Parts: sequence; C-alpha cells; structure tokens
Amino acid sequence: MTFDYGGYAGKTLRIDLTKNKITKETQSKQRVEKYIGGRGADAKILFDELKPNINPLHSDNILCISTGPVTGLLGPTTGRVNVATKSPLTDIYGNSNAGSDWGSELKYAGYDNIIIKGKAAKPVYLWIDDEHVELKDAAHLWGEGLFETTLILQEEHRGYDTKVAAIGPAAEKGVLFCSIIFNMWDAAGRTGTGTVMASKNLKAITVSGSGELKVADPERYLEIVQDGWLGILNDPGFRTGEHQALGTAICVNWGNAQGWLPTRNFRESTFEGADSISGEEFRDKYSTRSSPIPGGRACMSCPNRCKRFGRIESGKYAGTRGSIEYEGIAAFGSKCGVSDLEAVFHAYTLSNDYGMDCVSCGNTIATFMELAEEGIIENTDKLGLRFGNADAMVEMVHRIANKRGKLGNLGALGAYKAALKIGKDAVDYTTSIKGIDTIACDPRVAKGFGFTYAISSRGSDHLRTHVVFEMIKMPPEIGKELFGSEKACDLMSYDGKVNMVLWHENLAAITDSIGSCRFMHASYYAQYPIPELLGKLRKKKEVNSIKYYDWISAATGMKIDYKKLLEIGARIVNIERALNTQFGIRRKDDRLPKRFSEPIPKGPGKGQRFPKKQLEKMLDEYYTSRGWDLKTGLLKKSELIRLDMKDVFDELKKNNLVK
Amino acid sequence: MGKLIFNYENCTGCRACELACSFHKEGVFAPSKSRIKIVRIDEEGLDIPIGCEQCDNAPCITACPTRALSRNSETNAIVLNPDFCIGCKQCMVICPFGAIHYNEKSKIFYKCDLCDGKPECVKWCVTGGIEYYDGIEEFPRRKSADRIQQFILNLPKSTRSIDTGGKKE
Repeated sequence: MTFDYGGYAGKTLRIDLTKNKITKETQSKQRVEKYIGGRGADAKILFDELKPNINPLHSDNILCISTGPVTGLLGPTTGRVNVATKSPLTDIYGNSNAGSDWGSELKYAGYDNIIIKGKAAKPVYLWIDDEHVELKDAAHLWGEGLFETTLILQEEHRGYDTKVAAIGPAAEKGVLFCSIIFNMWDAAGRTGTGTVMASKNLKAITVSGSGELKVADPERYLEIVQDGWLGILNDPGFRTGEHQALGTAICVNWGNAQGWLPTRNFRESTFEGADSISGEEFRDKYSTRSSPIPGGRACMSCPNRCKRFGRIESGKYAGTRGSIEYEGIAAFGSKCGVSDLEAVFHAYTLSNDYGMDCVSCGNTIATFMELAEEGIIENTDKLGLRFGNADAMVEMVHRIANKRGKLGNLGALGAYKAALKIGKDAVDYTTSIKGIDTIACDPRVAKGFGFTYAISSRGSDHLRTHVVFEMIKMPPEIGKELFGSEKACDLMSYDGKVNMVLWHENLAAITDSIGSCRFMHASYYAQYPIPELLGKLRKKKEVNSIKYYDWISAATGMKIDYKKLLEIGARIVNIERALNTQFGIRRKDDRLPKRFSEPIPKGPGKGQRFPKKQLEKMLDEYYTSRGWDLKTGLLKKSELIRLDMKDVFDELKKNNLVK
Repeated sequence: MGKLIFNYENCTGCRACELACSFHKEGVFAPSKSRIKIVRIDEEGLDIPIGCEQCDNAPCITACPTRALSRNSETNAIVLNPDFCIGCKQCMVICPFGAIHYNEKSKIFYKCDLCDGKPECVKWCVTGGIEYYDGIEEFPRRKSADRIQQFILNLPKSTRSIDTGGKKE
C-alpha cells in the first residue's frame, strides 16, 4: 500500500490549466484524519488555498472533485463523487454531489481527488487513463451538447469503460447555474459548478482505471458491508418496494398527498395535475423496461436504483429519452403549473443536454411566470409566459441556455440575481436563500426541511440534512429518544426539529465525505442507532444496520467510534461555516424568503407558514448547540479549539472573523 | 451441471457483482480483476452483465493450443490453468460473449470458475440480474418464454407491428 490508510487510492491529482502542468502528490494524511475525504476534504482545501474575495469565474477559483475512502468498495450506495468550488450563482461556498460510477473509476485509476486551478488558453479536456494523465485539445467538443460530448469521448477512448464527466454548451455561454454531468445522467447539479469548469476552458474529464483498492481489515470489512446491505434491504421503507418501482418520482404523489408539492412557484403546495406528472404515469407510459424494475438503474454498488430511464416514442417530443428524477419533474411540472408530462420530460432532457441544473432552471422559469402574471416583467412577444403554458416553458429553456433575448439573458443569472436586476419588488417573488433557488418541498409544511433550508451551507438545500424522518411514519418513541420530543415525528410540528436537524446534518457531512449516499441514513434509516431502536421497539432479536464508524475504521484502519464520528461531522459543518464566513455569510443570511412566512392557501397544509419569529427562536437554539455566536453567527474560539481546528481559528483571527 | 443465467432486463448496473468477484478471488476491489463484467450503455439506459456461459461445445477450449482450458466435471465450469497458459489470447478472441477478461497491466486472464458451485456474484445481486442454476435442466422453459415475450413487448411500436395489409395502429 502506498498510502498509510486503506480504502483510499492514495494520490491527489493537481492540474494547473494556465501552466498546462499536472502533478501527482501523496494524499494528505492529516487532512483525511480530520476531514475524511469528499465534501469535508474539499471544504478544507478551499479554506486553505482559495482567496476568498475573487470572482468565482476568475481563473484563480479552484474546482475540487473528490471521492471518499469507501467509494468503489462494495459498501451500499458507494458511487458518489463530490464537487466543490466558489459558486458563481451564490458567490459563497458552492458544492454539489453526483452518483454514477465515475468516482469509483477515478479511484481505480489511482486518485482520490482532483484539484483544478487556472484557465487553459484554449478548450481542453482532461484524459485520465491510470498513470497516464494528459490535457488534450477539445476544439471539436466545444459547443457540443452534453450527450454528444460524452459519446464522442467514449468512442475516442475505451468505449463504455471510459467514464466521462462533462459540461454542456450553456456552461460555455456562462449561464450561472450549470452542472457537471457524470456519465450522461448523473449531475453535480447545483451551485453552478459546471459554469466554473467552463470558465477554465475545461470541457470534460474522462477516466478509466484498471487498478485495485485494498482495505485495512478485509474480513471485518466484508462483515460490515454485508450488514449494511442487509440494513437497507430490511429497512421498512425499502421493503415497501415503492421506491424501487418508481424511483424518486414517487415523491410527486406523496408530496401532493402530504401537502408539500410546490405548485406555481410556491403559491400553493398541492397540484391538481399531480397524477399526470407522477412516477406512476412515467412508469406506465415511458419506462423502457417493464417489471420487476421498470427502467431502474443504479449507481455503483447500490440496491436502491433511483434512476428511471424512459423514452417518448411518438408525438411532438418523440425521441426524448433519459433518466428522470423527482426534483426535475417538480421544477418543470408543478412549480411551473405544467401538467403535461411529455413537455416536462422534454424540458428536463433539454436542460441536461445544455448542461444546466434542472432545479434552478425550472425554478427560474416558474419565478418568471409569476413575475409576468403579476405584470412585473413585460410579456411583450408571443411567448405567452404564464403558469401552465408548456410551450412557453420549453421555449424558455432554449432561451436561457442560449442567453437569447431579454428574458434569456435575465434567466441565465438564476432567479435571485435576475430579480435583483429587475428591481421593484421582484425579489419577493423568488424563493431563493443565500442566492439559490429552493428545491421541491414546501418548508411551510415540512418544518425540519424548512429549518435546513435556512441554515444549509450552500444556500437553500434539503440535502444538508434530508430529514425525511418527519415525513415517514416513525414511531414517536424514537423521536423522543433521539431528538427529545415525540413530536419530532410530526411533519408540521417545530418540536425537536433543531435536534433532528443537528443529528442529520452531522451525519450527512460524513455521508458526503466517505463517498456514500444520503439514502443510507435518511430516506431509509439503515444507519446506527435507528435500526437498533426500531428493533428494540418491535422486539426483534437480530438487527442489521450500517455503522459508519465501524465501516470507516475497517476500510481505512483509523480508529473511530460513534462519538468521534459525530465530532468529525461537526468539524465538517464548521469548516464550511468558516469558508462562508470568509465569503460574508452572517446570521442575517440564515433566513427564509418572504413567501414562506405567508400562509398556504389550501390543501393539507392550509394555513401553515414558517414565521420569522419561530425561525429566530430555532436559530438561537441551533447556534447555541453548535457553539456559534448568537448575534453575528460567527464561529467561536472555544468551539474551534474543542474540534481541534486551531489552524482554522488562526486564519479567521487574522481578519477578525471569529469571536 | 451448474450455470449462470444473465438477465439483462433485471440488471441495474450497480456492479456489486464485479467488486464481489474481485474481492472474493483476489482480495481487492478492482473491476479490472473481475470475472464478470457489466457493460453500462448509458445512452440507452441499459446494463448488460457479461460472463462465462460455460458452453458445452466451448470454442475457447478448442482454440487453446496448450490445453490450459479444461472442464471441471463436478461444477461444469471451464477453468483456466495459468501454468499452461502462454497468453496468446485466442480464447479471448474466439469467445462469442467476450467473457474472458484480460488485464493488460498484470497480463493475466480472468475466467469464471463458478466459485466451486457457490458463485459470489449471485450472492450480491439483489435484483436477480444474475442467477445460478445448479442443474441447468431445471431452468424452466416457461421462464425463457417469459423473457422473450417481455423483450418483444418492449420493442418500439414501429418494429413490432407487422404489415398484414389490414388496419394499422
């Protein structure tokens, strides 16, 4: 083993595009001990190496792509890859995460992570074939759609054995919310990572790897991994089989029934057309394969198979095909008031081919629809921008991607920056937090989600915690045991939600840093101690669960227990906060937009709102638990020292950014 | 008479079988050292498991000039004896399924031996993409018919309809 710890590939790849220089260095032992890898390590790299005040599209910005110690090691859901940079959309910490098998391939090639700096003189792509790493001319790829780019690169290299991460033409044109898309369908979608990659003239990264990965304690490791797989397979939620049958698109009807399906730019939270854009509809009409798994595809080593693959055979949008997920359906569907699934599917696929984040794209269009209906932006040409107009929605995708016309140019800025430019009270119609659009779950109904949006380090985002705990029928005893209140299991209650968010946030940081997926500890609850608690309640003798601390220990050889695990999670949350502090984020930014303090007009969530007073109360509780300064939201010396982050304290101290 | 059955329509492309194989056989996680291979055709949303079919009239055995390949009568597996192998790659070239895997770096062939009748890949396949039949005669005809029917029903409409001169869809 070249590296002291198992699981890791052991090398970091540094690319300086300006100097056309490629260096391979040994993975930093100290960094992985403290931050593990993936999201945690990336945040530390940015904190150490990035000049905070730069323009995100300047060549000095850094793009980090990372895997974790268990990526590609057979553990359940271990296909994730993390991307971090300074976001051009929000001008703060930008971070996104994708699935597929690209990340594991990078490790088989011998590298844990890539750090990209500078800007190439002309379009290039990075070719990684085991030890052979080279920057190659990408003139023939520049301007090509994402699907075509991926296919060309696979043909030029090792066919299906070449894994491709690429950006689309919208990123080249400078649309601020572009994604890096892995193997065609898996996007590190949010915060504009693709736009940063385009600003560096880097079109794609191809990887093929034939190496091997070892773990520190193979026998123990296999036991743990088997336990983890069984933990998911025996999870009550998994056993319903609903998620395997429909993928994340199951959330359309689920959200509609619980009253958190955002409709017409969050004016309402139930959609009368939900049935016609539902996962069931997609399975029945467009899935390319029939039972038992209709068109379901999985990322590396995952029993869950979220991705639905489908195709439109005839009609206006014939030929549209691809993977589909809930977020995209809701963004182009219910948020825009469109109940035509073919138009939604088409807009979704277009957005992928252009390389745009479908959440931000759909949300921006929905915001514009409302602004047009309210007469704040003019609807001068024949576009007919209004809720429910599917043709206008599809046309807007083209306009934004190509920055065509006034609306196209505005849309390319994302809803928030566009609203600032429009002026008047346009901002009040956006649902952005820290500059990024809100995802498809109404926070007025789902209080834990709502609080997460306000505090999440990359702006409005549920995946920092993914507190599905409040949505599924968890026994109240577990809410009491873990989060101090039986009402934590109640969707519309505020009780216990701060504790719930804290626990989930710490674990989510670990999940993203080891290279596995959120389904491990949220959505399904296969993560220690929940299966154990459930087992105790139901008087089961044997319980399977995944224990991150055992898992990391057996893979790497580090010694980590449950307490230390949560401490590492807290450290990762703190390093991200430290970064954001440098980017100017304070307590005033941990907020919810105006819309969410207004009551929901109808449906199961009728009358629900998220009052500012309530949020402030929860923030006080959260900051106190985190050990952050109540008034400003700055980090405090005592907590940083407790978490063994003195270097971070010293750096922040230089600019007086710490209490 | 053991055999692996590859059900592409059930495969989700998670590649757990590849990793289970390489870990079981080589003690490392490396798809390049796996005896089974999932070809992921992303643009069509298809994942196809490729492995040894343990053919009765096996071209690889015939093609091997040094008799490095032979059949294990107990498990029905065609096994490779590395001591006899000269690395001519004839078996790899002639295999109609691409089931013999050559690792360029280590210059070693990886050939499925059915794990002495307890294939590790099958243990890890949670969707039934790979199944193992100890006695292939048990493999029900009905199942084959079902698969073919399913395959035909999933074809695009244009290729399914037959021009009978009558009313068309």
